[in-house]
Amino acid sequence: MHELSLAAEVIRLAEKEAAGNGASVIREITIEIGALSGVETDSFQFGLELLVKGTILEQSALDLVRIPGRGRCNGCNREFEMEDRLSACPFCGSLPSLITGGQEFRVISMIVE
Amino acid sequence: MCETCGCGNPADIKIDGQSHSHGHDHDHDHDHHHDHHHDHDHDHPHPHVHPPGKMVSLNLDILSENNRLAERNRGYFEAKKILCLNLVSSPGSGKTTILEKTINFLASSRKMAVIEGDQQTSTDADRIRKTGAPAIQVNTGSGCHLDARMINLALEKLNPADRSILFIENVGNLVCPAMFDLGEKKRVVVISMTEGDDKPLKYPYMFQSSNLCLINKTDLLPYVDFSVEGVMQHARQLNADLEFITFSAKTGEGMSSWFDWIVRQES
Repeated sequence: MHELSLAAEVIRLAEKEAAGNGASVIREITIEIGALSGVETDSFQFGLELLVKGTILEQSALDLVRIPGRGRCNGCNREFEMEDRLSACPFCGSLPSLITGGQEFRVISMIVE
Repeated sequence: MCETCGCGNPADIKIDGQSHSHGHDHDHDHDHHHDHHHDHDHDHPHPHVHPPGKMVSLNLDILSENNRLAERNRGYFEAKKILCLNLVSSPGSGKTTILEKTINFLASSRKMAVIEGDQQTSTDADRIRKTGAPAIQVNTGSGCHLDARMINLALEKLNPADRSILFIENVGNLVCPAMFDLGEKKRVVVISMTEGDDKPLKYPYMFQSSNLCLINKTDLLPYVDFSVEGVMQHARQLNADLEFITFSAKTGEGMSSWFDWIVRQES
């Protein structure tokens, strides 16, 4: 359940960036979660809901943007969408592939006042 | 809000039994509900209406603070020429026994120290201290992994010797510790005969992020349905560069390859 500590880290980042921008309210926070990031979206959302009370994110909307996983085959060098870390290349069946996308876990932006 | 522990309360974390508190009070009353989020899938740019206000672009990696502290730990190890190895596994794979045997074997030629991570108790650090090596226990409380800040704090107390080997025994958990760089030079995942050879497929992140896989408890091989070849094959489907060493920490059989591997990492 590392998602709970990641949710706490999001709150810390949001508070720091809001203070740096002279904002007292965060209306919306946009977070990117890659399919291969190792973060369970539901657990993360649940963790954030638990922890936001009394913080600057309490009234904020959460905009979650999911990024699909991408890989490049070590065998035939073609790119393809990876559903999980064990996805074999759909063209030649090789494993493992180089993960080229979907490992993101980032705060993209905030709307503040 | 503390980012290091599960419940958001840093007083939960103990280093050798002492709380590390940096003072922020909050209650743990979590029985509220508010439906402020919308978890719809959408591509960039996403066509929903944003609330009014000033847009602040951030593009911040949420693990950036942990990664920054991990790099600081790494710099500390490099400056002091310390070899740091992070041992990860599920509970009961034999990590502490492996460390006891390793310290006993290398004690005549190397200085060694251990950071022990567990949710509760100082049992493992007590076992390590009996070998004569200094050890510090980090209790993560409700937390499920060690993070770079905990190592940072533990190092201040432990103060490992120059040119020593520092072993970090992570919390027994094949999921959460995978995401947290501690500043180690190499990550070592331990799997034992009683766990089933399909573990790499079930916990791919850990096996993908490790450099070496120790396959322990070979003394039990006649009694369990475990295929050493099978676990290697599964792990290689995820990580073509993963090395393997197979041994029994109980009998000591095969452990010399592991001792040799450690010594090779020092250069």
